Amino acid sequence: MRVVMGRRVRVLVGKVGLDGHDVGARVVARALADAGMEVVYTGLRQTPEQLVNAALEEGVDVIGVSILSGSHMALFAEILRLLEEKNARDIHFIAGGVIPTEDIQPLKDMGVAGVFLPETTTRDIIDFVVRLVDDSLKADKDLQQGG
Amino acid sequence: MDLREMVKAWKREVLGSSDEGGKRGHENPVTDTGVEIEPVYTPLDGPHGSEAVRAIGLPGRYPFARGIDPLMYRNVPWIKRAYSGFGDPTVCNARYRRLLECGADEIVIAVDLPTQVGYDSDHIMAKGEVGKVGVAVDTLRDMELLFENIPLDSMRRVSMLGNSFGPFALALFIALGEKQGLKPEQFVVDLQNDSIKEYVARGTYIFPIEPAVKITADVIEYCSEHMRHWYPCTVCANHINAAGAGSTVAAAFALCNAAVYIRELVKRGNHIDNVAPLFTMFVDERTDFFVTVALLRAARKVWAEVLKTRLGATSAESLALKMTAYSHGGETLLEPQNNIVRITLAALAYVFGGVHSLYNASFDEVLGTPTEDAAKIAIRTQQILTDEFGITTTSDPLGGSYFVESLTQTISEEMLSEFMEVEEMGGSLEAIRRGYIQQKINEGAIRRQREFEQGKRTVIGVNKYRIETSPPRGAFRIDPKAESRQVERLKSVRKERNQRTVDEALVYVHEAAEGGDNLVPAVLEAVRAYASVGEVCDVLRSVYGEYEGREYFTSKR
Repeated sequence: MRVVMGRRVRVLVGKVGLDGHDVGARVVARALADAGMEVVYTGLRQTPEQLVNAALEEGVDVIGVSILSGSHMALFAEILRLLEEKNARDIHFIAGGVIPTEDIQPLKDMGVAGVFLPETTTRDIIDFVVRLVDDSLKADKDLQQGG
Repeated sequence: MDLREMVKAWKREVLGSSDEGGKRGHENPVTDTGVEIEPVYTPLDGPHGSEAVRAIGLPGRYPFARGIDPLMYRNVPWIKRAYSGFGDPTVCNARYRRLLECGADEIVIAVDLPTQVGYDSDHIMAKGEVGKVGVAVDTLRDMELLFENIPLDSMRRVSMLGNSFGPFALALFIALGEKQGLKPEQFVVDLQNDSIKEYVARGTYIFPIEPAVKITADVIEYCSEHMRHWYPCTVCANHINAAGAGSTVAAAFALCNAAVYIRELVKRGNHIDNVAPLFTMFVDERTDFFVTVALLRAARKVWAEVLKTRLGATSAESLALKMTAYSHGGETLLEPQNNIVRITLAALAYVFGGVHSLYNASFDEVLGTPTEDAAKIAIRTQQILTDEFGITTTSDPLGGSYFVESLTQTISEEMLSEFMEVEEMGGSLEAIRRGYIQQKINEGAIRRQREFEQGKRTVIGVNKYRIETSPPRGAFRIDPKAESRQVERLKSVRKERNQRTVDEALVYVHEAAEGGDNLVPAVLEAVRAYASVGEVCDVLRSVYGEYEGREYFTSKR
């Protein structure tokens, strides 16, 4: 199931900004890799620019960012703007960490596909990523067949 | 019948033969730190009677397992710390006054990430981060505002982490004292200033690891000469455990890091008994109550033994390890009021372990920066533990418990053996180079997540007795204008200060770094002249370079 439409799902897991707490990022990265996905973990202190460039270079389907510093609004807006600017809105963006509940809807409206709070299982994240990539590949295919 | 026979018979009767195993209550639980717990403990499981007195000693006596002070909290209650900081300094000052009014003994300034890694608030990397996880401190001016109408000598201690840039943190307090008309002997400063652990957990490194060790040692050395009653270095097990290592191994690694700093200081010609008393340790255990109690007792014992036999310390002050802790770890996002109970129990365990200073998480910390009410409850909890229920009436109240003594013995043996493992590798810098410590942390983090997902660790209201409630709303909001206010303030400080004095001070910092001198005097000059954290740090970056993160990995084949 980690092979969607004939190829492995590719995910970039990253930390943006100065926040150095990376247990969540490392645990999720490992779980996605164990589930058969191709995973690249950027390490700490990426700028939105570095993160988006890495995602393009690696040709990933999904970017997942972990953040605990409260700087998510500004940094995520910048990531989404860069994806737009670089014509890469087909890369899904998901996030997790310490994020106030009332920020979830605004983040989704902004274009974040999924927001995962503490106490989420890695199973939930794996399933979500698979569904996300699966749905968008199907949509692409329908579009191609239709057009 | 002798005791051995009695216990054997008891186990046979109560637990039956081994083929009945697996029944409820028959399987031994294993703690987070890896100790298997027996259904009952007896004198057979550890040192007891007169043997115990010889092995673990008495409170205030070597090896200090039972506490560093003979009378412990009867004599002086532990220091009640409040860790707080957000937004810009003026907003924060109001919160500090309120916390002190509630009876907090020590303010630990939480500074924001840009300050922690040496960027000014107007640096490109600071965008969106100013005032977020702590308050922005660009210059001495911010300290003046933070402590407006709060004399430094009105608190038992005052603190800042200052992990990667300890000299700046130290200088801020010395210079603020001068502004308030106070000499260093009139107040007490406490710093974390433990750079090494930033390379394996927490991640607020700045420089490559060798100069980082030098900079940390500079602060300790300066204090050992000029303010021996200050606390210039807290070696941290906390972040290493939180990242995944487990509490015993984390304490061992903290001890390894202390050994690196101590050896560096001794190499410079300092006598070990002149510097070792200035260290404290930040221990951490988040899962098992009795393990926490035993951990503190074990860490003091192992510290005393290692410092005496391996590092050659002799004075009682060097061998008696002061410990700090943070009551925190098991809090949940769902039904957050339950966290008050969790934090209380964590705090009680640290108190039973004989902690020297303590801070409690606020129950809403899992949502973000604590609200004022939650921060107040965190202090009140500590006060209740000190003054109600008779908890502090005797030293080491759990000493002599078969269970606690057995755990203390097991944990101290494991801690010492992990310490020796790293020693044989060549010390913690070599262990980090080889990725040994990182690997221990990683394995532990994955094990914990697996145990959580398999429901092995019960979390009430989350994986047991869960009722459907939506996660709480109403997280404390940082004023979104704090960043722009802070940037404006920095600009006006730059305009008002005497630029020539700043430039001269920065040249002095550069010379001190190039010459391998202790950095504190030069950084202090720069801080007095209102040089900013970024300006001073940039000078040092130009000399030492920057650490390139090595956390990257890929599973691509």
